[in-house]
Amino acid sequence: MKNDYLWDGGDATGAPDPEIQRLERLLGEFRANRTAPELPAGYRSASSRRWGAIAASIAVAAAGVWLVASGSAPEGWQVDRSGSRTSRLAVGETLETGADGHATVNVGEIGVIEVEPNSRLRLIRARKNEHRMALDHGLIHATIWAPPRSFVVDMPSAAAVDLGCSYTLEVSDDGAGLISVISGWVGFERNGRESFIPAGALCRTRPDAGPGTPYREDASPSFRQALADFDFAHGGDAALAILLTEAKRDDAFTLWHLLTRCEQGQEPRVYDALAALAPPPPGVSREGILRADPQMLDRWWDELGLGDTSWWRLFEGKWPASSR
Amino acid sequence: MAASPVVSISQDEDDTELARAARQGSRAAFGRLYDRYVGMVHGILLARVPRSEVDDLVQEVFLAALGRLSGLRDDGAFGGWLVTIARNRAHDYHRRAREWTELPEDVPSRERYSPEALAALEAIRRLPEAYREPLLMRLVEGMSGDEIAARTGLTPASVRVNLHRGMKQLRQKLDLRDAHEK
Repeated sequence: MKNDYLWDGGDATGAPDPEIQRLERLLGEFRANRTAPELPAGYRSASSRRWGAIAASIAVAAAGVWLVASGSAPEGWQVDRSGSRTSRLAVGETLETGADGHATVNVGEIGVIEVEPNSRLRLIRARKNEHRMALDHGLIHATIWAPPRSFVVDMPSAAAVDLGCSYTLEVSDDGAGLISVISGWVGFERNGRESFIPAGALCRTRPDAGPGTPYREDASPSFRQALADFDFAHGGDAALAILLTEAKRDDAFTLWHLLTRCEQGQEPRVYDALAALAPPPPGVSREGILRADPQMLDRWWDELGLGDTSWWRLFEGKWPASSR
Repeated sequence: MAASPVVSISQDEDDTELARAARQGSRAAFGRLYDRYVGMVHGILLARVPRSEVDDLVQEVFLAALGRLSGLRDDGAFGGWLVTIARNRAHDYHRRAREWTELPEDVPSRERYSPEALAALEAIRRLPEAYREPLLMRLVEGMSGDEIAARTGLTPASVRVNLHRGMKQLRQKLDLRDAHEK
């Protein structure tokens, strides 16, 4: 294959590429120091400020974490609390953390959730490759390494469907949610309304409106405000005008969502703005997009390079709705 | 400086055995895992946080992993698990930095890198996320495509696509030409 040097460094069939070799020489200056850390006894150390901070975080007291029994089942998740013995959260049970509480929850064998203080979650389902919980309020950090849609979090305003990723999810007392995706991507869905949130993006959701439109975490305040107005305050034309004017290439995924969320008659403006930032791939036509052709919309998304919709579609419908 | 050789993969011990031994307290096993994965972790962090913070954060990632090994149910998934810890650590860094004061990248330091090297690194760091990490693992850490796939848990096809697309964009940013086009 052409350019194999990039793949194997010339070990196999690739002819050396002088430009890549030059980059290797330049960038080799930044290569990792390969000296392993000296492991402190008991995995703790005060040898540096950072390591001390780690030790402190590991030793966070788990006071204020408790399980509220509301049923029992053989399936469940392991709950670890520093300074306390491991416990088990059964299906139907609720885990609450108090003001100083913190818990690490093993999601079967597919991931880990860090539960921050003042949070309440309920375990709805725990099967080998199907895990579902409800976050009534609070903050969790989820890291999932299972195939897409293996892990779902129900919120009062939407369901967050994992697509192989790491994210932070917060639900306020009024049921509004905010997700920040660190790696991979997450899908929000409610009553057929979907939001795809890639790494580096955030998305809000409200009980009265469902999933909002995702945006990049470094979007300008005016862009964020316009999006909030558009999603949740009937911002209409004025908000849309700001979004279309301020959008940059990295905001293409936001505009992609607007294609099917804008009011009737606004679609051509959204199409033109998105096409200027990220031209549609071959086979995706203006006419098709304006009639919301699902295949064309998916192909355009795939062209953005943020994840393949086939992952989402492949598993779509295989997960029964929560009884929530 | 001569081009660094691409690191070959040792098949002598698999991750499952090493992770199990490390969990049981074997420092030698942990050291082997460190040797095997330090390039990957370093590449992930270099893609996401200021250069000056990377080395400390690499140490943090491995110590955090050591502390959490009991929570790893599938020892064979060590690489993917470590990827998420490294990315989380980078995310935590930025969250903490927002709470305090984030130092600009160009704060004077004793480190001395050539302007060309810095420019190349910054060009990679401005690429889409999917391309940044594999390119840094390949060009900085000297990992082969096969090794990147084996360490991260990604498919070789996915790594190959991201390497080549990323390299194409990098050439454009640095105004380089593909050797095969010359």
